[in-house]
Amino acid sequence: MAKRTTSQRLHARVMLVAAAMVLAFCVVAVNLARIMLVNGEEYKNKAEQNQLQDKELKPTRGVIYDKNGTVLAQSASAWKIYVNASSIPDNEKVRDFIADKLSSVLEDVDYETVREKTDESKSSYVVIKNRVEYDEKEAVVSVLDDKVTYTAVKKDDEGNTVSTSDKTFKLRLAVGIDDDVIRYYPYGSLASCVIGFTGSDGEGKGGIEAFYDDVLKGKPGRLITAKNGRSETMSNEYETVYAAENGAGLVLTIDTTIQRYLEEALEEVYVSSQGAGAYGIVMDVNTGAILGMANVPSYDLNNPYALTEDQKKEVELLEDENEQNEAKRGFYYKNWRNFLVSDTYEPGSVFKIVTTSAALESGTLDESYSYSCYGSIAVADQVIKCHNHSGHGYQQLREGLMNSCNPFFITVGQRLGQETFFKYFEAFGFTEKTGIDLPGEATPVAGSTYHPLDDMSIVDLSSSAFGQSFQLSAIQITTAISAIANGGYLLTPYVVEKTVDSNGNVLTEKQPVIKRQVISKETSQTVTSMMEDVVTKGTGKNAYVAGYHLAGKTGTSEKLSLGKGHYVASFGCFAPAYDPKIAVLIIVDEPVGYINGGQICTPIAAKVVENSLTYMNVEPQYTPEERAELDTPMQNYAGTDLRSAVADLEESGYTVETVGNGDRVTSQMPPYGVIIPKNGYVVLYTETDAEKITTEVPDFSGYSVYDVQAVARSVGLNATVSYNSSTNKNELVSYSQSIAAGTQVSKGTAVKVYFKTNSGVADFG
Amino acid sequence: MTAKQFRDGYFRILRWRGSFRNYFATGGFDGVFLALLMIILISGLIMMFSASYVYSWYERGDPYYLFKKQLIYTAVSLVAMFIISHIRYDVFEDSAVLALIAAAVLLVIVLAHPKVIPGKEEFRRWLEVPVFGTFQPSEFAKIAIIMYCAWAMDKRRREVETRLWVTIPHLAVIAVIAGLVYKENHLSGTILILAIGIIMVFLGGSKMQIFAIGFAGIVVLGIYAFASGYIKDYMGERIEVWQKLLQNQELTAAEAQGEGWQILQSLYAIGSGGLLGMGFGNSNQKHLYLPEPQNDFIYAIVCEELGYIRAIIIMLLFLLLVFRGIYIALRCKNRFATLLTLGISFQIGLEAGLNMAVVTGTVPNTGISLPFFSYGGSAMLMLLAEMGMILSVSRTVEKKPAKEKSANEQA
Repeated sequence: MAKRTTSQRLHARVMLVAAAMVLAFCVVAVNLARIMLVNGEEYKNKAEQNQLQDKELKPTRGVIYDKNGTVLAQSASAWKIYVNASSIPDNEKVRDFIADKLSSVLEDVDYETVREKTDESKSSYVVIKNRVEYDEKEAVVSVLDDKVTYTAVKKDDEGNTVSTSDKTFKLRLAVGIDDDVIRYYPYGSLASCVIGFTGSDGEGKGGIEAFYDDVLKGKPGRLITAKNGRSETMSNEYETVYAAENGAGLVLTIDTTIQRYLEEALEEVYVSSQGAGAYGIVMDVNTGAILGMANVPSYDLNNPYALTEDQKKEVELLEDENEQNEAKRGFYYKNWRNFLVSDTYEPGSVFKIVTTSAALESGTLDESYSYSCYGSIAVADQVIKCHNHSGHGYQQLREGLMNSCNPFFITVGQRLGQETFFKYFEAFGFTEKTGIDLPGEATPVAGSTYHPLDDMSIVDLSSSAFGQSFQLSAIQITTAISAIANGGYLLTPYVVEKTVDSNGNVLTEKQPVIKRQVISKETSQTVTSMMEDVVTKGTGKNAYVAGYHLAGKTGTSEKLSLGKGHYVASFGCFAPAYDPKIAVLIIVDEPVGYINGGQICTPIAAKVVENSLTYMNVEPQYTPEERAELDTPMQNYAGTDLRSAVADLEESGYTVETVGNGDRVTSQMPPYGVIIPKNGYVVLYTETDAEKITTEVPDFSGYSVYDVQAVARSVGLNATVSYNSSTNKNELVSYSQSIAAGTQVSKGTAVKVYFKTNSGVADFG
Repeated sequence: MTAKQFRDGYFRILRWRGSFRNYFATGGFDGVFLALLMIILISGLIMMFSASYVYSWYERGDPYYLFKKQLIYTAVSLVAMFIISHIRYDVFEDSAVLALIAAAVLLVIVLAHPKVIPGKEEFRRWLEVPVFGTFQPSEFAKIAIIMYCAWAMDKRRREVETRLWVTIPHLAVIAVIAGLVYKENHLSGTILILAIGIIMVFLGGSKMQIFAIGFAGIVVLGIYAFASGYIKDYMGERIEVWQKLLQNQELTAAEAQGEGWQILQSLYAIGSGGLLGMGFGNSNQKHLYLPEPQNDFIYAIVCEELGYIRAIIIMLLFLLLVFRGIYIALRCKNRFATLLTLGISFQIGLEAGLNMAVVTGTVPNTGISLPFFSYGGSAMLMLLAEMGMILSVSRTVEKKPAKEKSANEQA
């Protein structure tokens, strides 16, 4: 060591330091390898958790169309307003400011609500209002930069004030706007029981919105954006988008026009019957497609939480807030409930068509089977009365059905026996759900909603035979009526015909499902002809529509569970009898006054059938008697010589009024082609610019057929009448008209007046 | 000792030696060294830009803000390097004591009148300099210590090699300067000055015993620091974070948000790099996650963007520069020049190594910048001035420096 020269010593020491340095670099290099190569992925993942934000892209909910492509439900962009409660400084003035500003720009949001939601919360996302539309959102945007100055107080752990400082608070610091979706139902309450609505999270509640929620809602996408260390989103070159898959659209079997006919008719009977509710279904008998389905009263899909005036009053009577909320919830579910699918009722005499079908199909008896009704019949130790207390006398099967005679059908049921009766009860699908694509279908329960075979007494069988002592849902009955109409095929009813993508391409198409053939074509035709007689001559005669050959059956049942005086009136029918197209079931719950299906449901069903079949371009087929009484279309007299026109018209039986001093007819009222009675009222104008002479429409209700036409003529109107031509005209009383009384119309206008009879249509009492 | 003897012994620079030619270094410089330097410098500038533009954009609204400043600093510094490379190294030798005194004075001034930078109130490192902006006297202190030690170890070479006590006053000088830097609240600067000083004394040929004693002293001091709770109080959390990260343990939320934030973000950046990197400019962590990525933690961004292979290449470039410096030093016949060049070279190596060790969490976190990469004007000026010195020395390597020296003495 000592011998070493300075230079050697230097070299040695330099190399020692250099070696140490190289060693240090190697250690760093190894550590670097550990971080970058061994643990690299782990660090990278953690870094990405920090750097990336994952936002859900909401898919657009599918559109709901009616059969013809009319939009029934559609989603649109909306916004939600939220408050980041964690970023509100603990200062009364600031809290007051936020609540004050938000309540001033947001509709239906008051100061207290905002305070309640934000005061105690520490959440960074307190939603103040959902589904805010554009204008309201813009109002919020316009106040976001409003600010308030306040004194911030800094306190130590003991709560002593350490310092105070003046600070400014901008609304933007705590109030945010997020995307939301709003669902519009352009027709409000139309078909509400079928469509349903969506909740605040956009999930379907009720109807097909719920049943097809998975189809409609689509699949959310993801937007992965990079954010910087201050959590600000960075430019879109760092974006990764997994597009949302929009929900499929649904094309319903519901036809808006038919639906509207149905709802208008039900509305009318709901008011006139003072019932608790009126319900109806229109079904395509050949496919099971539901063309119309309505509950009255219904609710507005755009505002499903609105209560009726009566319901509001009832809620207000309650003092306790919990009770009020409870009551409100009860009313919501009542309003939203689809009676036709979810509820069951005793079908009453409508069910006799099933008993008849079973009896004929099984060969237990034929059309010639007869029984004489003396007003009551003893079954086991009970006496069951007929609604006609004096008895229907001698009847064959056809008359029994036309009269809706209970003792008659008790004997038919007893002939059938439990086993055969239950076989057909089961075959018609009354022990199972129909499988309609709507939520909450009532499940038949043996021993509860119907009598199972192994526990069916003779009394059970006897009452079941005429439709009492068990319950069915309206959709089950309509499906059974369709089966009788279409040659015996029990179908699965459905409301969604197609699913389509956003460009209208069909994704899936529903094929009608035949569950089974319940009765033969022959039986079907026999029962159809009997049902047609029910309408032409029996309890269903108020349902008569000239040319459309309705086949139907009335029903009235008592809700025994509720004690006396609670009835369900119904009428089930299909038309035209020679080539059935549609089945219609009309139910009125707890009618007041006239309680029989034959009295209140039949005219409604007739209107629905007539309007629907006309709309569907089904040609009426008139009988010769009907044709004789048919009104005729107006001929064209414009341009003809006045004197010959008047002579021609008067010869045909018309009453003619002329207006003006000209020689030639310039225009006429009613115009060319309008159908009016053969003894109608015609106004001829002879001057081109003559003003139309008018008259006031009188109240036509309560008149006979002859009187109505006389009254009409006396005021210069044409009354076209609608009634059952095979009914005794003296029985018919007008009850409704196409143009409201008091309306000013041109003289010569045609007004349609409806008639019905109250005799011989009762099947209960 | 007469005043003249005192002046010639310690402040020879104050004696004018006649012609400018006597101060002018001639001959070719070492091309390899300059080439390595320029590669590192340009790489550093490019990476400085990549690392800084996000920060510049957010803080100044101009992505080029820091880059432009760094370009100006670098240009000025390169001019300084060019000039210094043409000054004969005996000028450095003659001015060594003056430089040390200047450094000491500046360090005192900065303690008395620091420029306070918002957010960094506890540090007293910067002096306000008109036109230039801020200046860190500790940067100058490093080169001053190297010059002083090289001068001292050369001047009394025989005594240093044979007598133990001769080294002690020099160690004291180093300790005083290090102490002043420590007072600035500049731990990494302190460590660097101590390390450089000790290496200089070591290379100067001091007896090994002094290092044995010094090592023993450090151990005792370390134990005392640990036992007295000093380390626990002032660096406990930092060390705990370092240990946890080195052992791949999860940090607590408080640690991850506080003491561990910077190093954790650095590791995220480095780890994201993998073998080949995210690509130049594609760092995610520079988007305000890694605080001031253009400064001490620029190497993390280098790793993230360029990947392991290139990061190692940059590491190797530094080593090559150091070794080229050693090569120049060892071929130089003048002992001062040799020690000066070695000191500067090891300083670069030390700073680079320590920086990379900190950034990778190999050692506990202490703020230290990466030479030629990190943003900073005074550091760049000092570094390139030092490079100028090495280049100046390199001009004499192939000639006979001894002859020239004797010529000077005659003048």
